[in-house]
This record gives sequence, structure tokens and C-alpha cells, in this order.
Amino acid sequence: MKFLNLSGFIGCALGVALGVGFSGTAHSANFIIGEHTPLSGKLARVGTGSHRGIVTGIKVLNDMYKGKHTFELKTIDDESSPAKAVSAVEKLASEHVVAFSGGYASGVIGPASEAANKAHIPYITFGGVATALSQRGHEGFFRINSAAGYGKAVIGLVEEMGVKSISVVYSNKEATLKMAKYVEKKLTEDGLKISMHEYDSHVQDYKSIVNKIKLRDRPEAIVMIGYESEYVGILRAAKLLKPNVKAMIGVWSLATGKMAKEFPDLMENVYGTAMLPFPVTFTSPKQKLFYDAFKSNFEGEPSYLEQFGYVQTRLLGEAIVRANDKGQLNLKGISDELRKTDEETISGRVRFDEHGDNPEFVQRVGQHQKGKIPLVWPASAKTGEKVFPGTPWN
Amino acid sequence: MNIKVFLLALAFMYLGVPLLLGDNNYLIGMIASALIVAGIAVAWALLGNLGGMVSFGHAAFFGVGAYTSAILTMDYGVPVFVALVLGGIGASLSSIFMMPALRLRGPYFALAILAYAEIFKILATEATGLTGGGGGLLSIPSLPVFAGIDFGTKLGGYIVILNIVTLMVITYFFIRRSSYGLALKAMHDSELATRIVGVPATYLKIVMLVVSAFMTGAVGAFNAHYINFLEPDYAFSGTWTVFPIVAAIFGGYRTLSGPVIGALFIYLIDQLVFKNLLPQGHQLILGVMLTGMIVLSPSGLLPIITNLFTRTRGKQHA
Amino acid sequence: MELTAQAIFTGVLMGGFYGLVAVGLSLVFGTMKVINLAHGELVLLAAYIAYAVESQTGINPLLALPIAMVIVVGVSLLTFYLTNGIAKDKELNSLILTFGLGIVLTNGLLMVFSADIYSTQTAWFMEGVVVADTLFSMRGEIVAFVVGICALGALYWWLNHTWHGRAIRSVSSNREAAKLMGMNPTKAELWSWGVAGVLATLAGVMLYVISVIHPPIGHGLTIKAFIITVLAGMGSIPGVLIGALMIGVIEGLTTTFFQSSLAGLSSMTLFLLVLLIMPSGLFGKKAGH
Repeated sequence: MKFLNLSGFIGCALGVALGVGFSGTAHSANFIIGEHTPLSGKLARVGTGSHRGIVTGIKVLNDMYKGKHTFELKTIDDESSPAKAVSAVEKLASEHVVAFSGGYASGVIGPASEAANKAHIPYITFGGVATALSQRGHEGFFRINSAAGYGKAVIGLVEEMGVKSISVVYSNKEATLKMAKYVEKKLTEDGLKISMHEYDSHVQDYKSIVNKIKLRDRPEAIVMIGYESEYVGILRAAKLLKPNVKAMIGVWSLATGKMAKEFPDLMENVYGTAMLPFPVTFTSPKQKLFYDAFKSNFEGEPSYLEQFGYVQTRLLGEAIVRANDKGQLNLKGISDELRKTDEETISGRVRFDEHGDNPEFVQRVGQHQKGKIPLVWPASAKTGEKVFPGTPWN
Repeated sequence: MNIKVFLLALAFMYLGVPLLLGDNNYLIGMIASALIVAGIAVAWALLGNLGGMVSFGHAAFFGVGAYTSAILTMDYGVPVFVALVLGGIGASLSSIFMMPALRLRGPYFALAILAYAEIFKILATEATGLTGGGGGLLSIPSLPVFAGIDFGTKLGGYIVILNIVTLMVITYFFIRRSSYGLALKAMHDSELATRIVGVPATYLKIVMLVVSAFMTGAVGAFNAHYINFLEPDYAFSGTWTVFPIVAAIFGGYRTLSGPVIGALFIYLIDQLVFKNLLPQGHQLILGVMLTGMIVLSPSGLLPIITNLFTRTRGKQHA
Repeated sequence: MELTAQAIFTGVLMGGFYGLVAVGLSLVFGTMKVINLAHGELVLLAAYIAYAVESQTGINPLLALPIAMVIVVGVSLLTFYLTNGIAKDKELNSLILTFGLGIVLTNGLLMVFSADIYSTQTAWFMEGVVVADTLFSMRGEIVAFVVGICALGALYWWLNHTWHGRAIRSVSSNREAAKLMGMNPTKAELWSWGVAGVLATLAGVMLYVISVIHPPIGHGLTIKAFIITVLAGMGSIPGVLIGALMIGVIEGLTTTFFQSSLAGLSSMTLFLLVLLIMPSGLFGKKAGH
């Protein structure tokens, strides 16, 4: 089969092109890690961020084990499609990858990790928060984040603010919908008055939603659960209509340096989940290690996507080396070693329960303040005080 | 294409492909994915050729079939193979809602069907209790073990979708050969499918719509059990409409085998060749190829391939 | 009451913009019977050029119009030459051709500009405008509406009062008759593609100042434009305006009285209802041969 030879060759060439170092000597083991990620299609932006983190992880692993082992990354664009992700996993499996790192969106991760499971290859991700993913009894399925971690942060912040009524504006996509339901349930239990507003990501105009909130709901704060372009739309509408709220709170993809830079006047005083402040002063050795490796390959500042991608890949690589040292370089060996992980990483503490979930995962909350994003919740992680009440318009 | 070539191609797909690639999940899976597109393309071409209707909304049938089958197996314990057929029936039933649109012509009909697809998608998103809404359905049952063969494997899935597509092509063949089919074909052999001289009897259009919907629904149902996942955006995605249309026209939508060959060719060349040449944004090459092809060979790919194919086959026989 | 008024106000503004997006497609569809599946991508291309100019030079994105126009009209004319070269089955084959071009444009934009989201940095467009104390909008939206209405009006005038415009109209109503009357249909088609490129440019720059752009949204724009074109009836400019306004207003009202995620449902239902009652669209001539 000419195709296979050709594709194998190009796969290697791709590895080089992606900046993966080959620094091994003749005696060292070379571990190939497979990655499927959306580099095109509707998830291309998040997929690219995740990919940059994974490349950074590979670089750090190669530096770490210099002279002993080498790591190689083989990446296939899954085009945001489940079938193509499954194909990618199967192709990479035939090219003898020892483990997978990557994947975005539960609907893509589900079938792809199923294929990895059938091929007896472990799979680590941060891209899908559906509970069902970890309940399928896969020995080798791991994820370093969870929906609850994001939800807890939003709820913790709202409780600390002491507001009595909330309007939730959310996208009808899988992850955002589930998060919205979670927040609704928890805050209703707390006795808050909640109103829910669902939108479709194709919507062009958010004014009608925000106007409803302003005139009918009159909440004390607005929670937004969506993605970047949608946050921009909602915040623009809100800045225009100026509903009388004390806070604008979002979840992922919002408290990022990119948003602060691209939309400074929209972001002022807006909250979003984050792990590190911005601009981050990567001071601790662990942070410095990540940041320097990132900067050696990429422009710009790393966001949570890069951080998660990096953390999961590095943890995976270390588990692979440990399993290899024990002569157990297989699904069980690597999974067992991953399960022994318990480490304070740049994305918080990571350990895995029997399902492969990380029960320690918590997000913090940052607030955009004059181009910077200090962490303002929880008290233990604070790097600044929150401006409350505070919105982009007052 | 004559019957001999058809049988040879069939033998190759049933024996050659499994024997050559049986243990290569990647390639088998890839061909199965291409056959899914091929199935929709055949159903679309049937409606276009025999019913004289160009549809822009076959994703509607695909999605309804997928959801029908998934829900029946998950909530009501219906066996998967039965559910595949019921998925087709579900899609046929959904086509009843579209029948008022049959009085529309050309692009008006095409767009009306697209609107139905869009409406079905939104309904699937909102009917959270039934479909899981935007949260989607994970862990849809795989194809089962039947008569000692595990159809849940890649090869098993390949055989099932191959059966489905083959049955569809054969059905298409017999409908086309029937007196209605012949009459219709004669009528618009030289005309565009969108502008047939005279309007075929409405009931004939209805039958073609129902048959096309059934076929697409069954393929959608297969995909649900093959990928084990559904969400409205995915099940009703415009890709399920556009890609098969492109494949059918590309391969030659007037012929029986054109849609199948077009789908296999486009999907496989895009995924196996272009993706290796250009890992990110490889569809760009696909776009250039489609454009170039239409300019250079507007009758589609089939004339070229058939020529090559029959010539080489002929030599082997000689 | 205040809510309803705002919903209608917003809907009308959006409708003006939708009309601008749709009218280029409608024009080409009317003259050449070609459905340009890359129309949304052309609009998006113009938006990205506005972004590129603004981010490189810091000038107002409206000033990017000339350069965007040159490029987009160029691509539009290229599309015309390619489509015109199709030897047979033009109506169907042009679908693949323009679909292919759409893919090329989307992926080209992805490669050049990455998958990041962009919107204008010029704060002027974002500032609020309050009408009658209760109706809110952004300046950008007012600008987009005005540009949309003016473009539609100008096009209407051009089609009815200039030689080229009338040529296009006669070709679109009866190609053969136009030929007999000494018109060159190819030339008329060339003009309609060129003008469609200009309209796509306007729509794209407006898109950039009122909304957020990223590579996958082109296809959605094509669909919306197409829906409005068909709703309007073949090539009818007043139809485009009324269809676009109807879609905009019903989306706003659905969001206000039900929820935003149902807006698509009501606009599609409206579309179907109109078509089933008037099979040739709002302003279409009776279908016939």
C-alpha cells in the first residue's frame, strides 16, 4: 500500500515541522504520543490552543529526559468531526503511538476515546466535560478538568457577592447547556431567583435578550455561559442597554489575555474563570519551565487552553517513562502510573479517581481590571480585590 | 456501466477490500465513512433524477433517521438492526410534512427542504426530554453480534453499510427500469433535472420523496450506531446535505454508480492524500480540485473513470 | 411595550443588514440563474480585509472599502469567468464550483488569519444611539442599516434607469429575447457579478463593524442570503428588502416573547409559509416556461 508509506513519511515530516525535537541517542526509547485535535472547522480556535499546549508539553518532556528518552508527537486534524477523529485515532494506533493526548468537545472525544479503548491505548484530555465520558469503564480514560470545577467557581463567586437574583444567558451547545443547568440547580438550592435565557450560536443580535433581562428580570448579576464571540456580542449589547446589574460573570474563554487585548473597553470589570492571573508572572520554577518552553515555539501569551494541554501531556509523558522503566509500557502500565499522579501543577492539583476524573479540579475567578486580570476568588488564591459592584459601563 | 462491471466492482468491495485491508481499521473505517456519504448521494440522486427535485435538505432525513433509531434502541430496547429499518421509516414519515413543498419548483423546493432540515434541528435541540437536546446522546448502542459475526467492529460496520448502499443502488436500478422510471428518464434526459418538461404525476413525486427519505434515514441510523453519538448540530449538519450533493454531481448524478464513485473518490482523496499534503486546511485543495474539475470536465468524474475502468478491466479479461 | 418596540427596532436594523448581505446573491441568481454558494465567503473576505487594514494601519475600517472592493470584485469576476466556462448543466455544476470556491476561501482565511475572532477596534461604531428615549442601538448598526437601504435603493435605481441595469433586467427576464434585441447577455452577467462583488464588499465591512468574525461563519451568511433571495422572489430588489425586514423582525420578536434559540424556528416557518402560499416568493413572477 503506497498510501500508507506515504502517509507515514509525511507524518514524520509533520512531526519535525511542528517543532518536536529528536534528541535521542541510539539506545534511548522514543515514545510517540498521538494527538487528534480540531485545527479546522468550528472548533479550530480552541483546538489550536490545545495543540500549542501539547507541543509545549512534548518539548518540556524532551528537555526533561534529554539523553535518556525522546518524545515524538503525531498530530491529525479531526476537523471538529467525530468520524474523522475516530479515523485519526485508528491511524495513529496503527503507527504505534503509546498514548493519546488531545480532543475537544464531548461528542468528538466520546467516539475517539472509544476507538482508543478498543486499540488498548490510554487517552487523556481536557476538552470534554460530559459526565458520561468517564462512566464508560475505560481503564485508560483520563481528564484533568471537570464541569463541576467551573460550576463551583461561578457559584462560589456569586455566593460571595451575596446577590439575590441572577439571569443566566447560555448557548444551547452541549457543554454550555450542561453548565447552565448545573448553575441553575445549585443557585436555586441557595434560594436565589434565577431566570434562564437560551440562545443559538448563530444569533446576530443579543440586544433583545439583554433588553428582556434589563426590563423584565431586573437581576443583580448576569452569568454568561458561552464562547468568545458570543461573550463579545452579549457584552456589547449590555454596554449599550446598561442593565442595572452589579456584575457580569462568564465562564471559560473570557478571563484571557487575548480578550483583554482585543476588547479592552468591553471587558472592564467582567469576571471569568481562570487558573492564573494575567499578565501572568510565571515565577515559580514549574511555571517558568512551561512559559519558556512555550515561548521558544510560539508567539503571544498562553491561555488556559495551552496550560491544560501542556499539563496533561507532561503528566502523561512522565507516567509513560515510569511505566517503561517497569517494563510495563502498555495500557495497564501507563494507566496505573497515571492513577498514581498527585501533583500541584500550573493548572492546580491533579490526581485521578477510579473513573479517570480529577476530583481536585477547581477553577479560580479572575476579573478584567484595566487590561490586567487579577484573581479575585477564592480568598486563598487572590492576587487582587474585586471591583464590586462593577460592570464595563460603570 | 454494464452489469459485468457492476458485479466485478461489487465482488471487489465485498471480497477484495476485506481481504486486502481487513485488519486495517483506519482504512476500513475511512471507506465506511465514504460509503455513508455515498448512501446519501444515491438517495439524493434518485430524488433528483426520478422525481425531478433538487433537495438542499437531505440532512433532515439523515438526522430524523439517526434520532429515531438511537431513541428506539436506547429507550425502548429495540434491536439495532430493526431500528435501522425503523430509522428509515421515521425519515419517510417526516417527509410527509414536506409534501406541501412538492408544488414548489427548482430552487424553491430545494430551499424549502433546507428550511425543514433547519426546523427539525431546532426541534431536536428543544425536545430535551426525547433527544437529550443540545447535550446530545452519548453511548448509543453499537451494531450487535448477529449470526456469530460481530458487526460492532470496523469491518462489520463496513459490511453493513456496504449492504445498505448496495441494496439502495439495486432498488434505484429497478425503479429506474420500471415503466415510470423509463418514462421519466426519457422526459428529462436532455433537460435539467430542475426543469423537466411537464410535471410528473404528484403521486410519483411523493413516492420518490418517501423512498429517498427512507434511504437517507437508514444511512443516518447506521451512522448513529457506528459513531455511537448524536447531537442536533451533528445529526442535522449541512455537511450531510452538501457533501453528498457534491459527490453525486461530481461522480455524475445521472448514472447509478456515479454518486457512489464520486463519494468514495472525493472522501478518500481528501482524507488520504490532501490531508497528508496539507495537514491543516487540506480542504482548500479539495475546493481547488472541485472547481478545476467542473471547468475541465463538467459531466463529472465518471466519464473519465469509466473509460479507464472499462479499458483496464477489458484488458484483464482479454 | 417597550420590549416589543425595541425588538421591532432591532429587527428592522438587522433586516437592513440582512438585505445588504442577500442582495448580491439575489442579483446574480436573477440574471444568471446561478446560485453562488460562495457569496457568504465573499462577504467574509471583505470583512477580513477590513480587519487587516484596520489592524495594520489603525485607520477607520470604512476606509478599507476601496481596497476590499478591488479584491472582492476581482474574486467575484473570477467566479463569473469560471462559472461562465461551464460547458453544460450550468445550474447544477455551478453549485459545485461555487461550493469549491467557498471551501477555498474559508480555508484560505483560516490559514492567513488563524481561527481567532476579530471585531473592529474603532470605538466609534460601538457607541450607543438612543432613539425616542427607549430604543437603543449601536452606531455601527445604524450605519449598516443606512448603507443597506442606500445600496438597495441605488441598485433599484440603477437596474431601472441605466442602460447596463436595464440590460441586466432584460437578460434576467428573458435571455434569448434580450439577445435578439442586440444585447450581449454575457456582458450583462459580467456586470451583475461585478455589482454583486461591490455589494458583498459593503456587506462584509458592515459585518466587521457590527459583529464578530471568524472563518466558519461564511456558510451561514450564504444560507441566510439564499433564504431571503427565495423569499423575495427571483431577483426582486423590493422583495429582498421586505423579506430581510420580515426575517429580522420575526427574529427579534421571537427572542423577546419566547427565547432566542427559537428565532431560527420562527424565521424558517415564516419562510415556508410564505413559499407555500406564494410559490414564487413575495415578488416573484408566476412560475412558468
